Amino acid sequence: MAKAFLLDLGRCIGCEACVVACKTGNELPPGLAYIELIERVRGTFPDLEGGFDNHRCWHCIDAACVAVCPTGALYKDGGMTRLNRAACSGCEYCVTNCPYDVPSMFEGKAAKCDGCEETTKAGGTPWCVTTCPSRALEYGDRDEILRTARSRAESLRVHYPNAQVYGETQAGGLGVIAVLPDDPEVLGLPRDPEPPLMLSAWKGFVQPISIGLIGATAVAAGIAGVIARRNHMAELAEIEASGGAGATDGPEEE
Amino acid sequence: MPRVDLQITRRAFLGSAVAGAAIGGIMPAAAHALDGQTPWYREGRIDTTYNYCDMCPWRCGVVVQTVNGIVRKIDGNPVDPKSRGMLCPRGQGGVSFLNDPDRLQAPMMRTGTRGDGKFAEVSWDEALDFVAAKILEIKDRSGPEALAIFGHTSGEFWFTDHFAQAWGTPNAAKPSSGMCLSPRDEAAQLTYGSAVGGHEPVDWDDLACLTLIGSHIGEDTRNTVMQDFATMWSKGGTVIVVDPRFSSVATKADYWLPIKPGTDTALLLAWMNVLIGEDLYDTEYVGRWTVGFHELARHVAEYTPEWAAAITDLSADVIRETARAMAANAPQSVIMPGRHVTWYGNDSQRMRATYLVNALLGAYGRVGGMYFNKTPFLEAYPHPPYAVAGSSGGCSAGAEEVTDTLPLGPTGKARADGARDTFWRGATALQELIDPMITGEPYRIEGLINYGTNLLQSVPNKPRTIEALKALDLVVAIDVLPMEHVAWADVVLPESTFLERYDSLWSVAHKTPYIAMREPAIPPMYDTMPAWWMAKELGHRVGMDAFFDWEDIEQYLDRQLRSVGSSLDDMRANEGVIIQNGKPYFEDYGDASPFATPSGKIELYSQQLADAGFDPMPVYEPVDEPPDGFYRLLYGRAPVHTFAKTQNTPVLNELYPENELWLNEGAADAEGVDDGQEVWLENQDGARSGPITVKATQRIRSDAVFMPHGFGHNAPGLTKVNGVGASDTDLQTRYALDPISGGAGMRVNFVRILTEV
Repeated sequence: MAKAFLLDLGRCIGCEACVVACKTGNELPPGLAYIELIERVRGTFPDLEGGFDNHRCWHCIDAACVAVCPTGALYKDGGMTRLNRAACSGCEYCVTNCPYDVPSMFEGKAAKCDGCEETTKAGGTPWCVTTCPSRALEYGDRDEILRTARSRAESLRVHYPNAQVYGETQAGGLGVIAVLPDDPEVLGLPRDPEPPLMLSAWKGFVQPISIGLIGATAVAAGIAGVIARRNHMAELAEIEASGGAGATDGPEEE
Repeated sequence: MPRVDLQITRRAFLGSAVAGAAIGGIMPAAAHALDGQTPWYREGRIDTTYNYCDMCPWRCGVVVQTVNGIVRKIDGNPVDPKSRGMLCPRGQGGVSFLNDPDRLQAPMMRTGTRGDGKFAEVSWDEALDFVAAKILEIKDRSGPEALAIFGHTSGEFWFTDHFAQAWGTPNAAKPSSGMCLSPRDEAAQLTYGSAVGGHEPVDWDDLACLTLIGSHIGEDTRNTVMQDFATMWSKGGTVIVVDPRFSSVATKADYWLPIKPGTDTALLLAWMNVLIGEDLYDTEYVGRWTVGFHELARHVAEYTPEWAAAITDLSADVIRETARAMAANAPQSVIMPGRHVTWYGNDSQRMRATYLVNALLGAYGRVGGMYFNKTPFLEAYPHPPYAVAGSSGGCSAGAEEVTDTLPLGPTGKARADGARDTFWRGATALQELIDPMITGEPYRIEGLINYGTNLLQSVPNKPRTIEALKALDLVVAIDVLPMEHVAWADVVLPESTFLERYDSLWSVAHKTPYIAMREPAIPPMYDTMPAWWMAKELGHRVGMDAFFDWEDIEQYLDRQLRSVGSSLDDMRANEGVIIQNGKPYFEDYGDASPFATPSGKIELYSQQLADAGFDPMPVYEPVDEPPDGFYRLLYGRAPVHTFAKTQNTPVLNELYPENELWLNEGAADAEGVDDGQEVWLENQDGARSGPITVKATQRIRSDAVFMPHGFGHNAPGLTKVNGVGASDTDLQTRYALDPISGGAGMRVNFVRILTEV
């Protein structure tokens, strides 16, 4: 059953408890955070409107980061987009191709929200959800979250006539269903996130090659890095000819 | 050589280098799960302890998880009526507060001149023997009243209440009274016969219309209030926000009234004018439960929305419309009293005006209005009669605990804060005890035991505070961190954090009165002690054994809990909380009146005020306007920080490392200042602070600037924040004393912007 987060930007009052809970629950080192709060206020005094947006992984079902990841370090699992940093080559393709500009580089490897993989598999709830005083965050089966989102958007229209659900279809559907007080563009979100330009070529060609590298040794990961850093499709054939790496335990998906 | 550097260096205005360096303590190995390392909750057995959070004075119940002797996570306690399983960012930062390498690590005594920050580590015996000898000397010479005891946050009971009353000083004070709540609670006593109490008794579950005047939910991240607000608002409740800033909560408002600062009473009078003039008030309620309605109706008749519009810079239509919105939802409609209300020196009258609006709406004692809160039943640990009654008040005081009698000390001296003279009544005004330290009037305060009150980041008129600290014969500082005030002490007593100590039971006046416990998750990481231990040890040294007649704190707590049929073990088994029944509504009082006023009713017209020579009904009094080129200095909170306490906490510092100056974009253009530019501020008296980064924004009026409080530290031991940002306290060289309650109105300072100094 695919899981999803609910992110109710109507309710969010910008306290940042989620950010600190994420950092402490996941014991993220200084300098790394998976959630960032963004103030979005529009208009001219005193005619103002706005609120808070969260910059955080949207866990796209058709995740561009997963599609472009040459090593399978990024993969889908239970609706969430997971990250196995041990397999990350540091190519930054996820960084440049995410339509939401989410993954960052930390100590040479990609870093992003993994949907509290360990915590949820241990029976817990993602740390941000547990603590959110405004109940702007929920976590559960995606179908259920979608229903909650629709009903919340409906009641939000008392305050925000244009309140709507976001994430039902974008990027194949998102793993974070948002309740927005207004049109996505107003909050700086793409109505239809565009797949990265290189994605079609990438999916059909490069990734099948690199899958063989997953879970490999550091040497293999290094080679994956070399592959990934090369933007010229022509060179890929040469690398393929050089034999790829021998690892066989690829990811379960894709 | 002490491990923590307290040496004060005068920070140059130019250059924002962080001065001073501290030698860090031992950090527990902070493995992170980022790279496939074992998550903390799988490293070993999880030990759970119950606590109430000390990251802000709200004190949510928390569950603390410890693995292999290292505290790993704090979360809201699901059964606690305040946290309900959730926690704010400050609470989530509690583990980081514990592990701050800048913490005080051992008792110290001054080796240089007071204030120069030179200390040597000493033993607890040495430190306490010295303090005991000095305070006994003061007592012999001038009486126990010559010792002042200040206290702030959750261990304050041991010194500001218990020790002070046993010792016999009426000069025990908390910043949460005179610099925060006194006007709110005195006005409440005068109007409806009880103080607001620690937890504002808004009956959120059924509330339909909320009005906030200068309350900043979301920036003030009190957990319960954010939860209740979100629920109320999501159900479609109407929200009216009166604020010169488009604050976080203003973004949720149905009506935002960007009022001209200092004119709130005019708005409140106009609202009453509409409620009465348009017959929108609760006639039956007012008839049954109030006195002075006809006087009030006559009084407000002239205060039309048009009159108020000219004063408040709001439109008369909006004033009418909001009054009608309030009335349409009554009695499930309230103006929330708020917390820090010491603004302009007329604050008791402004607060009374808010209560009068609530009364016209029929809100008190009604479902969805303002419930009657009640302090839980819990007997004090038996002790001999105190030498003096307590009057320190504060945000931990219950609704029934504030009295207007002035306690006399054993040698016949009343408080030195000028109560009955420069102001009328209420809890001891901390800021008014500074002058007696310097002038000796009405008598000299000679010694100070200061439990966690950072005087130099809270009391207005810092030059005066420094003069007082120099004039004292003894200054004892108790704190967790090397805050500014610690450098001015003769003796520094380092306290264990809330995660390393037992503490007094936290009994909370509430809709469901309850008691919460604090137990240590781990033993102290350094040579630190809890306040209860310090008070007890000091008590034994000054002949007060009978007041500390218990072997250890667990025995003390068990004995107290016996009065409610419980024990520490029982409390643990019940997840750390005991909940009792309250009496929130009229029906819980039968035929009796819940209003403990002379009339037994809500006093719209206050005979008590009239008799004392004050306006019996609120009157709008204009406050001084900023001179040309100056802005009114407003201050408030950043969501992740509390007072001046948490800025150095590593994880919270990471999120908000430096405060910023909100300046209207148009005003910034006129000043030739850019967003993101560093500027300095100079107030009307030439006091400066900075540099601070400009946030040029549409979210504030152009006649005021705003900054989150708690930055601009001048404390080299706080290695992350020393010298970072600007201090609003440095710029508050004056305040306006509320003649009714002794509150120190601090929004009477003006600043101009300097691009170079």
